[in-house]
Amino acid sequence: MKIRGIKPMQDTHVNVTPLIDIIMCLIIFFLLVGHIAKAASVKGIKIPSAKNGKDMRNKSDLLIINLVPPTGGYGDNAAPTILIWGNQIPDSQLASYLRKQKSGNPKIKVVLRADRSIPYKFVAPVLISCAQARIASIHFMTRRPG
Amino acid sequence: MSLSTKHKSRGMHAAHHVGPNMTPMVDVVMVILIFFMLGSSFVSPDWYLTNNTPAIKGGLSNVKTNAMPPTRINIKLRMRGTRTIAILPGLQTADLSGELASFLTNKHKALVKGVPVQIFISPSNGVPYKDVITTYSDCIQARFKQVAFRPPPAQ
Repeated sequence: MKIRGIKPMQDTHVNVTPLIDIIMCLIIFFLLVGHIAKAASVKGIKIPSAKNGKDMRNKSDLLIINLVPPTGGYGDNAAPTILIWGNQIPDSQLASYLRKQKSGNPKIKVVLRADRSIPYKFVAPVLISCAQARIASIHFMTRRPG
Repeated sequence: MSLSTKHKSRGMHAAHHVGPNMTPMVDVVMVILIFFMLGSSFVSPDWYLTNNTPAIKGGLSNVKTNAMPPTRINIKLRMRGTRTIAILPGLQTADLSGELASFLTNKHKALVKGVPVQIFISPSNGVPYKDVITTYSDCIQARFKQVAFRPPPAQ
């Protein structure tokens, strides 16, 4: 009596192990993107809304100047803090800092990211520093209304 | 008669899968990937108001940009109590996003086509930044292309 054995199994499944490597690379990429974006922006700033803002397509050569309001209000001549890439820049050194950035990259574009409650007297020196550094392209970061 | 279960197989051996099953791990990793993709998309949902600051003869900047046209409109922003008032020739209003926007739009339509106009926004010290941005946004909505900011007046 012939006993027929079980036919040998043939593995027809797709090998998914290399796919995991690719996905891990993508995860690392998005982790780095989030980390870099977090370093450029600062928490604690409520930017104003504007109806006529536009989405910026070319986000290369951007220098984001963050104006963070003082935690205890504007009493006792408290002034907002200027943060660029997480570093605090004193008011008196902002113009020289911007000049240095401009000399390294003539195509630099400044983005001003300031809290909506900051009085204009603290914003004007930033604009003046940009003018002193010969930076003509200044963008104001806003959010969509609603 | 006994059945022999010992059977020597010839030819292809059965393929045995050794090791953990990777398929569910792909699902987990996919979920993590979607999470980080969504997280990075929430980072920058902002808009931008662009500005090319013009050069003023004798001013702080020597950058050659747009020349200053002779037709100029000065929009003063002053605080009255807790409200910001916009003062300009022909209008004085606290409604920055409505009345001021429509006034500037009508002003632009009334201008001779092709004649450049320079807008100056002159806020005082205490005017909040959001009101300055609203005024600037109104100028953009009215299609004025040359808008500059003056330093606050000396007090």
